[in-house]
Amino acid sequence: MMLPFLIIIPLLGAFSMPIMSLLGEKARNAWAILVSALTLGVASKVFYDVWSTRQLVVYTLGANTPLGKGVNFPIRILWEVDLFGALIALTIAFVGFLAVLYSIEYMKHDTGLDKYYTLILTLELGMLGIVITGDLFNFYVFLEIMSIASYALVAFRNDTWEGIEAGIKYMFVGSLASSFILLGIALLYGQYGTLTMSYLAVKIAQNPTLVGRVALGLLMGGLLFKSGAVPVHMWLSDAHPAAPSSISAMLSGLVIKAGGIYALTRIAFSIYATSINIKTVGWLVIFFGCLTLIVGNAMAVVQTDMKRLFAFSSVGQIGYILLGIGIGLAAYGTKIGDIALAGAIYHTVNHALMKALLFLTAGAVLHEAGTKNLNELSGIAKKMPFTSFAFLVGAAAIVGLPPLNGFASKWLIYESSALYNPFLAAIAVAGTAFCTAAYIRVIFTFFGAPSEAVENAKEPGKAMIVPMLVLITAIIIMGLLPWQINDRIMLPTVDMLKDQLHYVIAVVGGA
Amino acid sequence: MIPLQFITAFLMLFMGFYAFLYKRNLLKLILALDVIDSGIHLLLISFGYRLEDGTLPTAPIYTGYETLKGTPMVGPIPQALVLTSIVIGVCVLALATALTINAYRHYGSLDINKLRRLRG
Amino acid sequence: MSEDMGLIVKTMARATIPLIGIFGAYVIAHGHITPGGGFQGGATIAGAGVLFLIAFGLREAEEHYNHKLYSVLEGLGGLTFLGASMLGLSVAFFYNVLWHKGGVFAGEPGTLLSAGYLPIMNLAVGLKVFTGLVSAMMAISLYRRWKE
Repeated sequence: MMLPFLIIIPLLGAFSMPIMSLLGEKARNAWAILVSALTLGVASKVFYDVWSTRQLVVYTLGANTPLGKGVNFPIRILWEVDLFGALIALTIAFVGFLAVLYSIEYMKHDTGLDKYYTLILTLELGMLGIVITGDLFNFYVFLEIMSIASYALVAFRNDTWEGIEAGIKYMFVGSLASSFILLGIALLYGQYGTLTMSYLAVKIAQNPTLVGRVALGLLMGGLLFKSGAVPVHMWLSDAHPAAPSSISAMLSGLVIKAGGIYALTRIAFSIYATSINIKTVGWLVIFFGCLTLIVGNAMAVVQTDMKRLFAFSSVGQIGYILLGIGIGLAAYGTKIGDIALAGAIYHTVNHALMKALLFLTAGAVLHEAGTKNLNELSGIAKKMPFTSFAFLVGAAAIVGLPPLNGFASKWLIYESSALYNPFLAAIAVAGTAFCTAAYIRVIFTFFGAPSEAVENAKEPGKAMIVPMLVLITAIIIMGLLPWQINDRIMLPTVDMLKDQLHYVIAVVGGA
Repeated sequence: MIPLQFITAFLMLFMGFYAFLYKRNLLKLILALDVIDSGIHLLLISFGYRLEDGTLPTAPIYTGYETLKGTPMVGPIPQALVLTSIVIGVCVLALATALTINAYRHYGSLDINKLRRLRG
Repeated sequence: MSEDMGLIVKTMARATIPLIGIFGAYVIAHGHITPGGGFQGGATIAGAGVLFLIAFGLREAEEHYNHKLYSVLEGLGGLTFLGASMLGLSVAFFYNVLWHKGGVFAGEPGTLLSAGYLPIMNLAVGLKVFTGLVSAMMAISLYRRWKE
């Protein structure tokens, strides 16, 4: 009923943007805001439907039922939404709307802006398509739509050398990762003959072979590339600072989660869950998560460029999420695994909001003061008090101070890792110590004595203040009710994610 | 004996990966991405070829002149997947070429070891 | 690149560009009967556009190229594709209502006027691919301004 409109509305907006930009600048800005606000409305309606009835929504493209006439296997492209997908879709629509609102004033001095708005709507469309699909090749098409739009947006300012170099590095590494994913999908098709996720789960459970395991290895390798885990994280620290700040907020908060973490969880839990040695896969993910934690947070302490510090901090937080998912895989079926997985999903949503706020703040400082080198930016709190307050809230939330929303998700991950294996909890706490050191350094710089580069800085305009205000309110409200959110939203999400039987029966129908 | 089409597909994949890891010119890296994609497309198409009762299958086009049992056809689903993937490959190639021209303007050379100004 | 390529190449280009255009239109229009379709035919006609650019030089091609028109045509192609897929939205997204309900596009399978909304979608995708590829080629070749 409402599910195809989640794809139709951004696609309509992106295709009609060249026509709207002929009518002038104000028409184009108003059209972009209208399209993203409508998408936010549809996403909240879908989330409310799935949450209040706790049932999977299955939508077939092109017919009423997934089964054809007289055959007993699905021959269509299906969309299958459970609570995890609906939650991430709501986060994507929310942060996307705020980024479009912010970029109306931030990108005023650039040219070629009709292409920019087309690309940002296409980026949002690609991410929404990944989280609602139930078919592996449809997932690959939406992944490529999202990736190509983000390569073009990172290299948007092509009169500076920084954008071009970061864009080239990001594009080559990202294309290589997509080739790995396509190779895994090709091997799965050759062995089992179908690509619908539910029917593939049935076939793998009946006949697990070596080719299936090699395909799982290739898929996980490509997806760990795309989410920024440690041996292959180099592109993140170059690409996220070089993009314009509203795009940095979307890249660091949404792209590495929808394209990397969501896909990894869906493939591990809904396709492969009971057919492989799940303890080995879990320990592999835990190993990469621990490496990412330590290296990401430690490299963030020695940076002098503000946005590069935030990018390395993103790598560190992805380490927390991978640690939670790994414990959820290795302790599959016990209460410790449930808590760890709830902590990982909660931290995904929290980190999207917190990192978006931090990057929007950095964009405001860059827009007004003209530099992002921390050595020149001391004492900016006297000239831009609201922006500094927003940065203080964001930094306190990432470190994990109690009345804000980062505390609850980090607490769940600490608790489950301490109960599973105390060595992992020690590594997690060491990572938080590095993270605190990095952000305290930036806070000391902001609240110090004024230097000469910040003489004529003032508060940014209204279109840049409103998204920051909305994000601060959301962080504080989510921080005041952590256990209600955990019990009512996160734990049912984990239950629906682990329930592979219902995921399969909703499509195949017990045949 | 493994059929010839799989050996060719994996050979193209290995050649593409070797070129991507060991060559330094930006245009050669773009061509290596294209060779990797072509190898995977060949692998996907050759999964649709199956022998049925000893007769060789033909292209999947209904011309209205055959009965339903006498002439087997190759599987049509991998062909749809490969068509989509070729379009995606063309998009990536176009974007990569435009970025390479921009890089030559800023840096003055096409050597990938010279693109090292962002560090730390 | 700003000057043309001599009399022999220009005469041959004048002869073959319309023929390439006709062949590309045949490939697009028969997409549901023979191999081909929207993307393949659009790329063929874009080949004709690139031949014009190479044979006649950049200055001549710049006079005939209007980038706002090509952007609007690209958007129209995409909107036609989306509109054709939404015609049967009361049953499902992408439902082939023109084939099931009868009408102009519901003939015998194997003839030209058949297969529901597929010919409309082929034409829309062909237009979008042609205008997109020609816009990209003109943008890449007009970028050499920094030399002269």
